[in-house]
Amino acid sequence: METRDRITTTELIIIVVNYVLAAGVFTLPRTTVERAGTPDVWISVILGGLLSMITGLIIARLSQRFPGQTIYQYSGKIIGRPLAILLGVVLIGYFVCIGSYEMRNVQEVTVFILLEGTPGWAIAGIFMWVALYLCRGGINAISRMCRLMIPITWTVFFGVSLLSLQVFDINNLRPVLGQGMSPVWRSIKPTALTFTSGEALLFLVAFMDKPKKTMKVVVSATLIAMVFYIVAVVLCIGAFSVDGVVTRTWPFIDLIRSFEVNYLVFERFESLWLTIWIMQIFCTFCIAFYGAALGLSQLTKIPLNHCLFALLPVIYIVTEIPRSLNGLFAFGAGIGNWSFFLFGVLPLPLLIIARLRGARS
Amino acid sequence: MMWSVITGWFPGWSVMFQGLILLIVPIVITLTVDWIRTFEGKVSKRGQKAKAALNKDGGATSLKGTKGAEGTKSNKTTFIAGKDDSGGSGNNDEQENPDQSYTGNVDKDLRLFKEISSDMADVNIRELRIGALQIKAVLLFVDGLTDKDSMDRNILRPLMNAVLPFEGMTEAPEAEELKRIIVERIIHVSEIEYTIDPVKSLKKVLFGSAVLMVDGMKELFVLGTPKGRTRGGEEPVSEALLRGSRIGFNETLSDNTAMLRRHGQNTELAMISFTVGKRVEKELVLTYIRDIANEALVEEIKRRLLTIDIDDVQESGFVEQLIEDDFLSPFQQIQNTERPDRVMAAMLEGRAAILLDGTPFALIMPVTFGMLLQSPEDYFDRWMAGSLLRTLRFFAALVSLFAPALYISFLSFHPGLIPTKLVISIISSRQGVPFPSLIEALIMEVSIEILREAGLRLPKPIGPAMGIVGGLIIGQAAVEAGIVSPILVIVVAVTAISSFAMPMYSAGITLRLLRFVAMFFAAVFGMYGVIMFFLLLSSHLIRLKSFGVPYLGLMVPSHLRDWKDFIIRLPLHLLKRRPALLKPKDPIRKG
Repeated sequence: METRDRITTTELIIIVVNYVLAAGVFTLPRTTVERAGTPDVWISVILGGLLSMITGLIIARLSQRFPGQTIYQYSGKIIGRPLAILLGVVLIGYFVCIGSYEMRNVQEVTVFILLEGTPGWAIAGIFMWVALYLCRGGINAISRMCRLMIPITWTVFFGVSLLSLQVFDINNLRPVLGQGMSPVWRSIKPTALTFTSGEALLFLVAFMDKPKKTMKVVVSATLIAMVFYIVAVVLCIGAFSVDGVVTRTWPFIDLIRSFEVNYLVFERFESLWLTIWIMQIFCTFCIAFYGAALGLSQLTKIPLNHCLFALLPVIYIVTEIPRSLNGLFAFGAGIGNWSFFLFGVLPLPLLIIARLRGARS
Repeated sequence: MMWSVITGWFPGWSVMFQGLILLIVPIVITLTVDWIRTFEGKVSKRGQKAKAALNKDGGATSLKGTKGAEGTKSNKTTFIAGKDDSGGSGNNDEQENPDQSYTGNVDKDLRLFKEISSDMADVNIRELRIGALQIKAVLLFVDGLTDKDSMDRNILRPLMNAVLPFEGMTEAPEAEELKRIIVERIIHVSEIEYTIDPVKSLKKVLFGSAVLMVDGMKELFVLGTPKGRTRGGEEPVSEALLRGSRIGFNETLSDNTAMLRRHGQNTELAMISFTVGKRVEKELVLTYIRDIANEALVEEIKRRLLTIDIDDVQESGFVEQLIEDDFLSPFQQIQNTERPDRVMAAMLEGRAAILLDGTPFALIMPVTFGMLLQSPEDYFDRWMAGSLLRTLRFFAALVSLFAPALYISFLSFHPGLIPTKLVISIISSRQGVPFPSLIEALIMEVSIEILREAGLRLPKPIGPAMGIVGGLIIGQAAVEAGIVSPILVIVVAVTAISSFAMPMYSAGITLRLLRFVAMFFAAVFGMYGVIMFFLLLSSHLIRLKSFGVPYLGLMVPSHLRDWKDFIIRLPLHLLKRRPALLKPKDPIRKG
C-alpha cells in the first residue's frame, strides 16, 4: 500500500502545538515577570498569544498561495532567486538555533537535576541520534511521534499542575492591573517570542492535504499552547509571588520541587515531570531539525537524509556556543529578537509583494 | 573587531571533535545497517528473477500449485529427495535425461519409472489387467501413505471387474476413449489428475497418491490425495483461552482450510495456493476475504510470496522471516497463531492469512502493535471485562519492559523520586549487596530467563517442581546470601509474571529482549536514558511498517474512532467500522 506524505488538519495542529510547547515553560514565568514586575503577566501571555496568532495568520495566508511548496521553494517567486537563497539560509540558521537552544536547555536541566556529572556531549549525543533516527522517517514519523507524546505529556503536565495547587496562593496574583497596562505591554515581547508558531508553518503547510484550513491550524494551535503557558505562569506566580519568580532560574521546575505528595506512589515529581517534558522538547527539536534539513535539501538539492547528517555537528557546535546559563538565556533572547523580525515583520511585505506580482504556484 | 567576536564565539576544539564524533557514529551505524540490508536486497532480486520465469504459477487458483509450470520446472527440477524411508538418497542419474516422458507402452514406461525410483524401496508396483479386454496396467503407490483399503475398493476392484463399460469391444479403444471410459465409468475416485512427466508422477507417488499407468496411454492417472498421518484439532497449547473455541489448527493443510471454511457459510473466503520450496515442495495457502481485504495488500503479499527462494520451507516461521518488511527489527511484523477464530477475526478486519502445510501455525498480516496485546477473549467477554483485561495487558507490557530499568535508575540516580520511607527500606536491605544495581538486576534477570527456558524443556511432571525450586528457593537463598536485595526479587518476579500476560508468546520474547537494552540505558543515563530508550523505541515503531501499514497506526490514528477498539474495547454496538488503517474495501462492519 502506498505511503502517505500528507498530514491532515488535526495532525498539523498537533505538530504545531508540540513545536510551540518546549523549553519555554521552564523560563517563561521568569522572563515575563522580569520585564513587567507585576503579577499581570498572564494578560501579557494572552495578548502575546493573540499577537503571534496574527503573525501566524499572515504566514498562513502566504503559504496558502503556494500549496504543496515550502518557503524555500516559493520565496524565489516572490523576491527573486538571490534574495530567496539568503532568506533560506537565514531560516535554516534560525531552525538550527532553535534546535540548539532546546538541546542546550535539555543539557543544562538534565545535568542540573537528573544526571549530575554526566558530560554534556553524551546527553546531547544520544538525544540527537534518536532525533536523527526519527527524522529520517520523514514528516509522517514526526507527526506520529507528536501524536504519541501528547497523551503522555499533557496528562503529566496537568496532573502535576493540579498537585501544585497545594502551594498556590491567589493573593500572589493580586492586584490585577495594579500599575495599569504599561507593565503588561512591556512583557509581551518575551511571550510573543516564546510561542511564535508561524515559522513551522512556513514549511509544514506544504505537507497539508487541505491547505485551505491553515487558518484553523494557527488559531487552534496557538490557543492550546496559550493554555499551557498561562497555567505555567499563573501557577508559578501564585506559588512564589513576583519576587520569588524573578530569583529562580527555572521557576516551573522549582514549583514542582516545592511540594511533596504523601498519598501517591511518588513523593516528588520534578524528575518525573522533567523526563516527560524532555519528550516534549524532543518533538520540538525534531521539528526544527527537520525544518532546517528540509531547507538545506531544497536549497542545495542534496538528499534530505544527507542534510540531516550534515546538520548534526552544526547543531551540536551551536549548542555548545553559550558559555554559561546566562549565555544561554542571552542566546534565547537573541533568537527571540531574530524571530520577531523574521516572522513578525517580514511575512507581511512578502505577502504584499506576492499579491502585487500575482505569484502563485 | 569582527574576528574577535567570532573567535569569542568559538566553542573550542574539543567541542569540534565531539561534533565530529557525533556525526561519525550515526554514519557508521547507518552504513553498517545499509550494508546488512543489501543482503536482503540481493535475495529478493534473485527472487524477482525467478518470479519473472514462473510468473503465472503462483496466481493459479488451483489447489494443486505446480500446474502450468512444468515447462520451466521440469528442466529445473533436477533433484528429488526421497520422502520417508527412502533415506533421502537422491539419485543423481535421473537428471542426465530430464527430457524423457512416457511413451504409452506400459513395459517401457514401467522400466523408466523403476529407473527413476531405483533407490526407493517403499514404492510399490502392482500390475493388473483392466476388465474384459485385459488391458495391461500398473498401479504405483507408497506403502503407508496411501489408504490401501479404499484403493483396493475404489480403484483395483472396479478396474479388474470392468466388463460392462467395454461391452461390444474386441480390442482396446483409442487412448482418449479409454481415458474417458476409465474416468467416467470405472474408477470411484473424486480427484483425478493427469501427467506425462515421469518426475512429476514420481513426486505424486511419493507424496501419497496412487498413480495408474495404462497400456496405450501416454498420460498417467494421479488418483486421490494423500492421506498422511494427521491429528485432531486439539486446543492450542500456546494460546489457551478460558472462553472461546477449543479447536486449534493441526499439521494438515486441508484440515486447516476446512476449519476456516467451517467457521461459517461465506462465499467470499478466497484461498489461493502457492508452492514454496525448491527442493522440498510444500503447499501454502493465502487466504483472505475477497470483498474486504485491500487488493493492493493481497498483491503485495503475493509478490513477496513469489520471492521466496529457499530449498525447504520447514515451518511457517520461514515464510514469516522471508517476507517480513524489516528483518532488523525486534518486533514481529507478522503474527503467528494456532487459533482459527483469531485468523477469521483478523480476516474480517481486512487482513490476510497464510497457512502452510505441515505446521499448525498460521500467519496473519499486516500486524499492528495493538494486535500483540489483544486476545480473542476481549471480544467474547462483555465489553467492560474485555476493556479491563486489555488495560491490564498494556500495563503488564509496560512493567515487563521497564520495571528493572526503572529500579536501576531510581536506585542509582534518583532515589529522591520515590517515597523516603521506601528509599530507606530499600537502601537498608541493599546494605550487604556488593554489586551495583545493574549487576544485581542482571544476575536476577538472567537467572530467571534461564529458569524459564529450562522450564520449557523439562518433562511435564518435573517442570512445576523445578519452577518452585528455582523461583522460591534460589530467590530466598540469594537474598539471604546478600547477593540481591529482596525488593529486586519482587521487581524481577513481577516482571516475569507480567511478561506472561502477553497473549502472544513471541511478542513476550521481544519485550524480554528489549528489557535488557532498557536496563543498560538506565544504568548509563538513569531516567534520562529510560526516556531516550522509550523515544528510540517509539521512533522505531513509528517508522516500522508491516506490509505498508504503519505498525503504530492504531496507537496514533488519524481518526480517533480507531481508538474505540484499542486499549479500551467499546461495546460491539459502537464498533461499526473496520480499522480504517487497513483500507478495507468494505469499511462498514455493521449498521
